[in-house]
Amino acid sequence: MRTFTEKELKKYDGRNGIAYIAYRGKVYDVSASYHWRKGIHQAMHRAGCDLTEALEQAPHDPDLLEKFPIVGELVN
Amino acid sequence: MAKVAIEMVKKAGVNVKQLLELLVNNAAAELTTYYYYTILRANLIGLDGETIKEIAETARIEDRNHFEALVPRIYELGGKLPESMVEFHNCSACPPATLPKNAKDVKAILTVLVEAERCAVRGYTNICNITAGKDHRTYDLALSILNEEIEHESWFSEFLGEGPSGHFLRRGETSPFVSKFLK
Ligand code: HEM
Ligand SMILES: [Fe+2]
Ligand SMILES: [Fe+2]
Repeated sequence: MRTFTEKELKKYDGRNGIAYIAYRGKVYDVSASYHWRKGIHQAMHRAGCDLTEALEQAPHDPDLLEKFPIVGELVN
Repeated sequence: MAKVAIEMVKKAGVNVKQLLELLVNNAAAELTTYYYYTILRANLIGLDGETIKEIAETARIEDRNHFEALVPRIYELGGKLPESMVEFHNCSACPPATLPKNAKDVKAILTVLVEAERCAVRGYTNICNITAGKDHRTYDLALSILNEEIEHESWFSEFLGEGPSGHFLRRGETSPFVSKFLK
């Protein structure tokens, strides 16, 4: 499986049409989601980042991520 | 512009720019929902469809009320609506509640309706969370809307057989919680 450093992940912030987000070490491709248009979620979150902590505060469970393809792993 | 009102919110530590974006995106969700629900309601026909028409209509009218109630707060806080209605439509916090391909599939229409309400419940919960104890007026408004969204979700969810919610269809005037912002 492909690995991403935080720096590499930053390239996929949605500005070029590809939006990846990391959660618990896994990188998800959310480019197809209405809720991640231009890599922005709810005016508060940006793609290209590790959102593990942010998701704790979200008004929904992590299972909403399940329908999106995993494209790699986040490494330090 | 309500100068001191904005100052109070900023002083309390709220990111006003971000809050305004959320308010505009949710106002867009309300007005677009009002539009899309018009089409859904028109297609709620036949024995199954007609049973749901009444609640779909109440939810539609209350969503328009939510739009009306949000707009003054957006301007009070120094924000504004986009000039272009196309832009406004496209910034909606929730996806379009479009009519399912098979318009006769009442269960599919119900699913569209319940998902739209769930998106709204999450959105207003978030606005409550970020304004609680800081921006009292936006909190009051978001909470009033949330109270109605939870009832909308309950009505549709019950028809999908997800279990009882304890709610009955609206009796009396629409928007019992939000009406104070509409006067
Ligand atoms: C305060 C923070 C957040 C808010 C207010 C929020 C709000 C929402 C809302 C309203 C939805 C739509 C769900 C529905 O239709 O019922 C949603 C979906 C989603 N959210 Fe969040 N969210 C937040 C944080 C996050 C974070 C940090 C992540 C990433 C780890 C995330 C990932 C997702 C995903 C993957 C979906 C599903 C998108 C889809 O189905 O197209 N959310 N969120
Ligand atoms: Fe609404
Ligand atoms: Fe609603």
